[in-house]
This record gives sequence, structure tokens and C-alpha cells, in this order.
Amino acid sequence: MSSEENMDRGMVMASSEVDPFYGSNWDSIMSVNQGGNLGSSPYFAPNEFNDPHYSAVLENQILARASHLVHFPSDSNLDDLVPKAPSLESGCFSEMDNSFGNIHSGFAQNNGVVTQRDPRNGSKTSLDHRQNSEHRGLGDSFNGKRKRKVSFGASLKNAEEQHGKDPSEDTESPGEHDEMNPKMHTALRGKQGVDQAKSNAVGGEPSTENYLHMRAKRGQATSSHSLAERVRRERISERMKLLQELVPGCNKITGKAVMLDEIINYVQSLQHQVEFLSMKLATVNPELNVDIDQILSKTILNSRGGNANTHGINPGLSPSHPFRGFSLGNINGLPGTIQPFHPLPHTLFDSELRSILQTGSGSNPPGQKGTPPNRSDLF
Amino acid sequence: MTSDHIPSLRNPSSIRTRLAHRFVRALKKLSMDRPSSPVSVSDRYKRYRMIRAAAYASMASSVGPRRAWARALLRKIRNRKTGNISMKRRGVRTCLVTKRTLLKPRDHREMGSQQENSLRGLVPGGEEMDFCRLLNETGHYIKCLRAQVKVMKNIIDLYSN
Repeated sequence: MSSEENMDRGMVMASSEVDPFYGSNWDSIMSVNQGGNLGSSPYFAPNEFNDPHYSAVLENQILARASHLVHFPSDSNLDDLVPKAPSLESGCFSEMDNSFGNIHSGFAQNNGVVTQRDPRNGSKTSLDHRQNSEHRGLGDSFNGKRKRKVSFGASLKNAEEQHGKDPSEDTESPGEHDEMNPKMHTALRGKQGVDQAKSNAVGGEPSTENYLHMRAKRGQATSSHSLAERVRRERISERMKLLQELVPGCNKITGKAVMLDEIINYVQSLQHQVEFLSMKLATVNPELNVDIDQILSKTILNSRGGNANTHGINPGLSPSHPFRGFSLGNINGLPGTIQPFHPLPHTLFDSELRSILQTGSGSNPPGQKGTPPNRSDLF
Repeated sequence: MTSDHIPSLRNPSSIRTRLAHRFVRALKKLSMDRPSSPVSVSDRYKRYRMIRAAAYASMASSVGPRRAWARALLRKIRNRKTGNISMKRRGVRTCLVTKRTLLKPRDHREMGSQQENSLRGLVPGGEEMDFCRLLNETGHYIKCLRAQVKVMKNIIDLYSN
């Protein structure tokens, strides 16, 4: 799975000192693999920490953040983190250099801007203005992080110092803030969600930007643990809904326990069916020789995939009712619809096989079309 | 709906055709090896077990290594066949897997309800996943089991007619 491949790469990346912490958080991160919103996260980190050792800083940051955010960069973006480092510092920053004086001050400005404009941004987010909310969330995240968690690491102290310079740059920040907004928008989408939720709770804002479609509603607990718990619960309920659609007859069941029971029963019954069928296969004495096996595979494959195939292969067959039904059934034969699909191929198989086995004896099965010589031409 | 959940089955016919291919190939191999007709009960039982293993192996290999349950299933089958020798040979790969799983909190088994644990026992490789991932793998496993059952039913019907 791609997530695991990336996990391997991630493991290589986070080599020595951060391994246990990294891995334990990583797993929760891996389980939250949802979409590519975090392509921006590599853009995010170097802004904050102007550290020559990019990857190490990234890892620290990732770990620091990951300890509070369960949902951090998704797997597919992880391997973007390290390779993108050199390009980031050139490309991304060159973009932002217009608005930022340099990396430090620009980011500090950003922080300062957001801290100042919190109330204003709050009103904007209530209108669900995406950029502002994201941007605010970025700043809020930093504010919240810095104020509360001082123990991130040495690299964070740089940002904190920058943050300290902020009040002096407030006046010029609004203009640049708007400038930065579109540029930061794509770059900083990664760090939304929980951070925003936290800072929103501080500011009393009801709505947050959904990183992973999780809102910290007003009045709900917004500690990192409860948020992570909520995310986890929502994921689990999501999966349970999908499973409900898979398992037949579970549409009306509400409740995790009953659903789980049904799932377990269904899996057990499927496994028993496999065993029973393999027992049956073992006892059935195949009179057919090896050539027929090839024919079997062909017919099985024809029944599965090839609607067009069957039409093409059987030109001599008049489109009688079972065949039509079969082809229609195939068209609808997505994984969900098993029962209507199932009986139709039987008729086709039976008739064809009978004709083959009877070696063109000329006994046409009733209701079937074509003649044995035609059928033998098929193969 | 299910396309996001189980991306490998987006093309519904693909996994069934792959399954059918592999399973028929395996059956051919088995039918060539075995004597003309299984005379004794033990022969039949052996054949049954081989066929069952072939069914699971073909199912897992047609899914590919992307799914954890498929890997775990293949591992189980191979270990059953060759004993402990295979473990050493594929030491590298299992090292990666175990490292990954070791770093997860090992109380996946102790935590969780009784149902969760029984589900873990059913789905191959379910012991070392967290619950969310377990549900993912369960969904995919159910789909593949269904396809396998259908293929086997069709084969039996073909044989018996």
C-alpha cells in the first residue's frame, strides 16, 4: 500500500533520535490518511524555522505538532517533505519574498498580523471565507502553540523570538496580510484543523476550518485528546457505514455493537462457504481433461468481464432472452449486485458446456440459441 | 461509494478475472498432481486442504501486496507449508513490518471490546492493526471473499454439469 511505502520512507527519514516518538505518532497519523491537503506542509515548515538542517527541523516540527495533532501530513505527502526541501527554500520563498522581507521577518509579520487581527478574522470566518480562516488558523496555530507548549524544542525558540517582535510591525502588516493571503493560502493549508480549533476555543469562535472535516463546535471540548478522539470516532463511524453497505441486510442496523456482530457473522459465513466449496471441489470428480480447464477459465472470464466479449464471440447466437438478461446483468454487475447477477451465467455455462461435452451430438438445450457447430467455433 | 473505500476494486471485473485466472491455474496444477480419483477419505481431506489453501492463496495474490490482509494471508500459507525456513529468508521484509507494528502500541489486542478482538481473529493480519485500519481491511476482505465464493461456485457448477 502506498501508505506503507511512504511509511518506510518516513522511517528512513526519521532516523535516529526521534524514532520511538515518531513512530508512535506516526501510526495514528497513518491511520488518518485522508487526501492531499497537506502538500502545503513542507512549505509551511521552512517558513517557520529558518534552519539549515531542513529535514531535522521538519521532523522535530512534525513530531512536535504530531503530538497534539493526530492528523498531520498524510502519507502521500510525507515523501514530499524531504526531497522538496531544497526546492522549497528557493521556490516557495522566492514567491513569498515579495511580501516578506525575509523568511523570519515575513513569518513574524504573519504571526503578528494574525494575533492582531484575531477578532476581525473571527468575524470573517463566520462567513466562511476560506482564505482568511486558513490564514488565521495558521497564525492562531502558532500563537496557540507557542503560548501553551513551550517545550517543543530549540528550533521553536526562533519563532518565539520572532513572535516577540511582532507588535512593532503591526501597522504595516494588514496590507501585507492581504497580500500574503493568497500566497499563504496554498502553502499553509496543511496546518489547519486542530490548531484552529484550539485557538478558536480560546477566542470563542464557533466555526473552524476543516482540515480533516472535523469541527470543534462551540462548547465542545477542544483539547487535543478529545479532538483526536472525535476524529477517530468519526473515521470509525465512516468505515462502519461503508461496511454496512457491504454486508447484506444491515441497512437498518444502527449501533456499533450490533453492526460489528453482523460483520463478524458475515465474515465467518463467507469463510465457511469457502471451506465448504473447496471441500465440494475436492470431492467432485472432474471428468474433464486439461483442455476443458482452459475453456472453463475462458467461460468464467467471459461471464465476469466481457459483455462486449460475449457479444463479439457469439455472433451466431441470436439475442434471446437469457443472453440479453445476462448481458444486462453484467452491465449492472458491480460488486454490490450479486444476487441478480448470479443465476444468469449458469444458464449460459450449462448450455455451452453441455454442448461441448456432448461433442456436437446435436442435442440443443431447450430455449437456447444457435447450434453446436456454432458453439464449437467459439473455442 | 465504495470506490474511495476500496480503490483497488474500482474496476469490478478486474479482481474477479484475476481471481478466476489464478484459481483455475491452481486447480489445474492440483488436478495434474493428484491421482485419478481420491480414493480414501484422507486423500480427499488432503485434497480439500490443498484446494482451500489454493483458494486463499490465489485470492491473496490476486489482490497484491498492497493490502495488509493479503500479505498476512500469504505469509500464513507459506509458513504453514515451509515451516520456519521461510521466516529467515524473508527476514528483511518482516523486519520492516514488525518494526512498524512494534512501534504501534501493542495493546491493540488487550484493548477493545470482545467483538473487536474476534474480528481481529477473523481477518488475517488483524492482530496488529488499529481498529480503524481493521475496518478498512475487513471491508476489502469481505469483497474478495465474495468474489472468491462466486468463482468457486461457478467452477463447481461447471464441473458438475
